Amino acid sequence: MAAWIQRNKFSVILGVVVLVLAYIYYFSDKTTALSMYRYAWTYAVPLVLCALVGVIGERSGVVNIGIEGQLLVSAFAGFFGAAYSGSLIVGILSGVGCGLILGGFLAWTTVKWRMDQIIAGVVLNIVATGITSFYYKPGQLLPALMPHWSIPGLSSIPLIGEVFFKGTGVIALIAIIAVFGIHFGLFKTTWGLRTRAIGEYPSAADTAGINVITMRLVNVTLAGALAGLAGVFLSMDSTSSFERGMSAGRGFLALAIMIFGAWRPLRAAAAALFFGFVTAAASQLQADQVINVPPQLVGTLPYVLTLVVLAVAAGRVRAPGAVGQPFVKEGK
Amino acid sequence: MKAKRYLVAGAATALALGLTACGGSTGSTGSGSSASGAASDDSNCADAAVFCIGLVTDTGKVDDKSFNQASHEGAKAAAAADGGFYKYVETQDAKDYAANMAQFTNKKYDVVVTVGFLMTDATAEAAAGSPDTKFIGVDQFFDPATVTAKNLTGIQYPEDQAGYGAGYLAGLMTKTNKIGQVLGLEIPPVQKFAKGYEAGAKAANPAVQVTTVYHPAGDNAFNDPTWGAAEAKKQLDQGADFIFGAGGNTGNGALQEVAKATGAGDTVFCIGVDTDQWDTVPAAQKCLITSATKELSKSVTDTIAVANKGDFEGLTTMGSAGLAPFHDFDSKIPADVKTKVEKVVSDLKSGALETGVTL
Amino acid sequence: MSVTPEPPPTTAPTKAPNPPEEPSGAGLFSLILRRQSIVVILVALLGSALIGAALIRYQGVSPWYAYQTIFKEALLVDGGLTRTLLKTAPLILTGLAVVIPLRVGLFNIGGQGQFVISAAVAGVTAYAARGAGFGALIIGLLVGVLVGAMWASIAALLKTWRGVHEVITTIMLNNIAAGIIWWMVTTGPGAFKNTSQIPMTGPIDKAAWMPTIAGIPLGFVIAAALAILCGWMLSRTTMGFRFDTVGKNKFAAGYAGIPINRVILLSMVLAGGLAGLAGAMEVHGVMHHFEPAIGGTLGFDGITIALLARSNPIWTIPAAFLVGILRTGAAGLQFATGIAPEIVDLILAITLLLVSIPVLGRWIFRSRADKVQAAATSWGN
Repeated sequence: MAAWIQRNKFSVILGVVVLVLAYIYYFSDKTTALSMYRYAWTYAVPLVLCALVGVIGERSGVVNIGIEGQLLVSAFAGFFGAAYSGSLIVGILSGVGCGLILGGFLAWTTVKWRMDQIIAGVVLNIVATGITSFYYKPGQLLPALMPHWSIPGLSSIPLIGEVFFKGTGVIALIAIIAVFGIHFGLFKTTWGLRTRAIGEYPSAADTAGINVITMRLVNVTLAGALAGLAGVFLSMDSTSSFERGMSAGRGFLALAIMIFGAWRPLRAAAAALFFGFVTAAASQLQADQVINVPPQLVGTLPYVLTLVVLAVAAGRVRAPGAVGQPFVKEGK
Repeated sequence: MKAKRYLVAGAATALALGLTACGGSTGSTGSGSSASGAASDDSNCADAAVFCIGLVTDTGKVDDKSFNQASHEGAKAAAAADGGFYKYVETQDAKDYAANMAQFTNKKYDVVVTVGFLMTDATAEAAAGSPDTKFIGVDQFFDPATVTAKNLTGIQYPEDQAGYGAGYLAGLMTKTNKIGQVLGLEIPPVQKFAKGYEAGAKAANPAVQVTTVYHPAGDNAFNDPTWGAAEAKKQLDQGADFIFGAGGNTGNGALQEVAKATGAGDTVFCIGVDTDQWDTVPAAQKCLITSATKELSKSVTDTIAVANKGDFEGLTTMGSAGLAPFHDFDSKIPADVKTKVEKVVSDLKSGALETGVTL
Repeated sequence: MSVTPEPPPTTAPTKAPNPPEEPSGAGLFSLILRRQSIVVILVALLGSALIGAALIRYQGVSPWYAYQTIFKEALLVDGGLTRTLLKTAPLILTGLAVVIPLRVGLFNIGGQGQFVISAAVAGVTAYAARGAGFGALIIGLLVGVLVGAMWASIAALLKTWRGVHEVITTIMLNNIAAGIIWWMVTTGPGAFKNTSQIPMTGPIDKAAWMPTIAGIPLGFVIAAALAILCGWMLSRTTMGFRFDTVGKNKFAAGYAGIPINRVILLSMVLAGGLAGLAGAMEVHGVMHHFEPAIGGTLGFDGITIALLARSNPIWTIPAAFLVGILRTGAAGLQFATGIAPEIVDLILAITLLLVSIPVLGRWIFRSRADKVQAAATSWGN
């Protein structure tokens, strides 16, 4: 524990400072603070899930810029699956299923067929937009609302419990578990070690007996399930309708968050919360008419900050070494 | 192995060709709909006896739950009432407005409805170029100083009055003295609704606090229900008990969020916009106390009827704006509130009351 | 993705095992097999047309009639060809904006942002210069080129200076551009208060409109000329040779003394300038003012076009023309058959998928799979 703190000194200090400030604000103006934190978390849920998709992909050596498409198709499939079948479960499953299928498509084309990863992602996005807007049907309703619970015990913790565990939906909970689970998985398990190996130095990993191709296929495909959940969150949890293009660039924003979070799940989640809070603060300023920042410019903030981070911290923030390159086994 | 591949390819091609071939020679399942006994296609639109109505959307779709859909329904109703033929084209690219209107004028349609203020300039130009066709611009204002054509009229709606009425109702009924609005892009029609809402609320209840938030992006400002929902939730958390969602799907997201909140329909309420959203956003029925409406469908139908009979009265046709029925909430709203709101709405219509909204 | 200080170790094993084959390396397109590529493209186009036909049939309309309508609307109807060419012009340029960096091994998906920001600034400038008559056209176009080049050079500089991957930066820049242009026309500079209330910049003078001569838009002529010029530049000049060398093998290029960073910067500046010119041309030639809707999906269509053209500048002309035909015909299609115009997006998406899927080429030319690999950008180099 002490060693871990030593290694992550900067993150720990920053985390503690942020937490203390958050609590100070919370106790000084409970209602407003809480509403803003909850906003930040709602804003962050799909982004966290999508950023995890990106992290898993890139850690395995596959760039996924098709997250936006996965998100859109899953939102579409989730909503219409639920609306036509009359069952939320069917909706969630079809959303997640579509995420998996598209993840599988990306994996298969890029890993097996060695299609360019960027092109595969672009294709995915364009196909997703085309299909969902062409086959959209208005006037459908979800059979029921997604259930929301308060986790007993946890939900009574001031601030943290109230934000994350009070009246929370199943997808938001999965997002929390996924962040910690994947962080642990990546850095503490054999799977994680292998995943990082095939993303950093696939030929060495291959020599060590890791099946690079299979591992990349499995990782990228399974990560699609998270994108599927994020899509379901958009059309079934945070709202209760599907609209054309409702992903509204969140898949791309997730890429920014992934980089901002230095390809690490916990930091990516923190980055998503940070951008969520910035957005909340901007709308709060607008609402209170403190200063009228043009909202369009505030909307560009995450992207500008990502560019700044990349420019300033380029040396420290480093992508996995073999990201974007197809792996060809020697002598085959 | 190789032979098998080509076999598969051949079979696929044959299948596809077969699909292609069995379609018949005309694609007759057009978007056109017509009343029984009326013209079934648009080949005779030039004929004085055949009344043809065309509609061009701005870059939205006719199922947008908002003004495109309402106008589309209005035009369809007009076609049914007058025994006319109706067809629409959805514009994908703002540069195609002129070409899409030309589709109709080339076929000598009698009336072309263009929807949305984004088409104002294109409509004026098309009207000047096709004097035999009458143009109706929904939500459009033609400046008499520059537009001289007689074959067009723009339907204008006093959005501020609708917003004022909704705000007045919210101001009277709020228990927390906090109300909010979740809006799309900061453009005049939305601003008019928003400022009217604020003015109405303040007029009813000087102590009321109005939270106004516009969407922070350009491209998706009217199509981000997730943002609308999150924003509505934030305002609810801060104690607002009335949320006005005005901004296409973004606003609809806000309405749906309010419908999910605890106390929806009892202590917290939502107000829709443009059309009676009781019908267009059924997911919001639980909280939807009313909608600040522009009577789009009715005004389109009426104006088409005017065009069918003769000339337009002028460059501007005033449509009306007001409040949608209260539906299930009719019994929940106190009688004195209802009378007050009704008086305000009718005073606004008659001109006895001004909203005082300026942009 | 952001920084790769070491040469990637994985490129070495990409040697093809069969002696008659050339190693494909991390290079871009295998230009040697251009003819095979054309076959692949034609098969892909045919395939997507057939899938499109099935989709149209499924909507209850005869595909034959539908395709006929599209082509009739786009080419034969009075003024149809002019409209198609008007649509083709910016598509050629946004296609080139993808092609040129692709030859250097960069994937510029920022065409959309470069396009809209240039269009916005050009629109504002041309409106400000509205007394200048024809001069405003020249000023507007120049400003468009400059702004586009500057916008793209942000990505290029971050790439050369910090090693940040251009796909990420161009995605970010697209979103930033979208925010800026909306701000410009709503509350920012350039917002033009008009009676129609459209968020737009002021209308430019008629004298500064880009003319259409004998049914051929000047913009199309310029765009086609630039495509040919780029083709010439890439295949016949030292600069073109440098571009291709850097794209094929950065390390060899470095040993040969080619200033790689300058080549990268130049390619992105050219790309941005072309996309920017497209933006300014749309302002002067089509809209006559700027409004955010001007962008449409032009920047992203550029990617489809670049891949259809197999990153050959001259082939962007027919590729853009094809996309132009589909986009022009879409509205007529809805008028005639009632099929939503999104069908065209779907057909284009399928085309892109088939064109870029390497397995199609491998399937046709089984033994030479690697050569017809759709594309391999030098991601991470």
